Amino acid sequence: MAVLDSISTGKRSVADRPPPVPRKRYPKWATRAPLLPALIFLIIVTQLPFVATLVISFMKWNSLDPAGRGFAGIDNYVNVFTDPDLRSSVVNTIVLTASVVLISLLLGLGLALLLDKKFAGRGFVRTMLIAPFLVVPVASALIWKHVLYNPEYGLFNGVLNWLGFDAQPDWISTMPMTAVVASLVWQWTPFMMLILLAGLQSKPVEPVEAARIDGASPFQVFRYLTFPHLRQYLELGGLLGSIYIVQNFDAVFTITSGGLGTANLPYMIYQTFYQAHEYGEASAAGVIVVAGSIVIATFALRVVSSLFKEAK
Amino acid sequence: MKRRLTEGFVLIIAAVVAFPLFWMVLSAFKPEDEIISADPVPWTTRPTLDSFTRALTVANFGRYFLNSVIVALVVVVLSILISFLAATALTRFRFRSRTTLLIMLLVVQMVPVEALTVPLFFLMRSVGDSVPAFGLNHLGSLVLVHLAFSLPFAIWMLRGFVAAVPVELEEAATLDGASRFRFLWQVLFPLVAPGLVATSVLSFIHAWNDFLFAKTFIISAVENQTLPLALQVFVKPDQNDWGAIMAGSTLMTIPVLIFFMLVQRRLVSGLAGAVKG
Repeated sequence: MAVLDSISTGKRSVADRPPPVPRKRYPKWATRAPLLPALIFLIIVTQLPFVATLVISFMKWNSLDPAGRGFAGIDNYVNVFTDPDLRSSVVNTIVLTASVVLISLLLGLGLALLLDKKFAGRGFVRTMLIAPFLVVPVASALIWKHVLYNPEYGLFNGVLNWLGFDAQPDWISTMPMTAVVASLVWQWTPFMMLILLAGLQSKPVEPVEAARIDGASPFQVFRYLTFPHLRQYLELGGLLGSIYIVQNFDAVFTITSGGLGTANLPYMIYQTFYQAHEYGEASAAGVIVVAGSIVIATFALRVVSSLFKEAK
Repeated sequence: MKRRLTEGFVLIIAAVVAFPLFWMVLSAFKPEDEIISADPVPWTTRPTLDSFTRALTVANFGRYFLNSVIVALVVVVLSILISFLAATALTRFRFRSRTTLLIMLLVVQMVPVEALTVPLFFLMRSVGDSVPAFGLNHLGSLVLVHLAFSLPFAIWMLRGFVAAVPVELEEAATLDGASRFRFLWQVLFPLVAPGLVATSVLSFIHAWNDFLFAKTFIISAVENQTLPLALQVFVKPDQNDWGAIMAGSTLMTIPVLIFFMLVQRRLVSGLAGAVKG
């Protein structure tokens, strides 16, 4: 996380300082050679394709019309921003990512705090709580769509029935976005919980004991000791969660098939590319996603860290 | 008293959270008429393996299963080796542009896959022209992309672990006459094992769960599809085979569960180590 801190604060943290040079000097190539496999591989599989995306995004290219291929200028970008479907998919991606990350971080924090206490059967409870993270996302989406949400034989309506309610709502068509968010929160809360639990368990015990003896209330202990310690774990969880949820395709594809106003960017790009064969437009959308996520990540990290700096 | 209350509270939450999974396994064992009954009951009096048989025979699940296992394991082994080397270079040696490289890794991780699907599709298609095993419709193409997307995170996480090993140890090993190579594989590698475990779980889950690339790269070669796609075989517009879907989902969850159980203890300390870096 040292990298993150140095990006967000503009300062180099202690951990980021290069380690002391070993007594024996290695030749230049020997110090860098171990890095090469990773570097070359990443450049070929992620960097070059991204450059290609950039190039294609300025081209007019539809595979159904190979003769019409050519330079398009910023037409694709204009299309992306003016096409109401694409525009709403940008909004959907933001809403989906923000709500899933925030809700699952909050729930994960609550669960991690509960699990941090010692009690009988803690291991068992922890395994049960982690379980949703271990289910393959497509399977999880199918479970939510049919086992829980289904209006005829779904569990939710079964429970409503059993409790004596007559209402048998069709969950997915009445609240499509909430349905997708709920299923993703269920999957991601365990992940956040794991990261925050790791943070809680690496926390030194002595300061808490000292604070207790000095008469600090449990809330004060949380506010001034636990929370600042957890800060970078919250950041890590939020960052990783956003990275993965911005890319979510499985849940949207399975639960709503992008219908009912839930199509997010990955789904939209999938459609533009594989069904409409508009390679240029799909690439432009991809570039916008990258730009957007870098801006948001940098901005969010700065805001979060400065908030904490003031609180300290 | 207060403690008992908390315990009960946690237990109830855990039960609610895990309930859909219980339901998934239960549905896999239920006979077909009970699954779509309007009065679902949380038990079954007539457990049956029919759904599992259908999943394994009709959809050739075994084949898909094997494909998924191959892809995930190859990705895990390669990412451990490559990220270990890279993390060592990034923490142990100082050279110009070290910080830049670290930040670059972070940025790579932040590039959402959807931005790369289009060119990756073309890349894999041209790779396939010269090396068919790594081109479209082959498992190799999946290995390549999953490796690329799990490496940055793995390197980043391992950094903390390598940094935690004291430099004195390396000096001692050198004084005792150990070669560079020997130090790397016989001293450092075992010492960062907890970190390797934590990263391998995430690489495994990443490759195992993938749906987007499996769907876009494996187009016509049905025999090379992976599990998440196999599930869709049972989803039909008119008549879904729920028993088989749930049986398939249950089977898919088992390897992840086993893998996770094996490394559970180390995972939490592994994640903590990643932040310390």
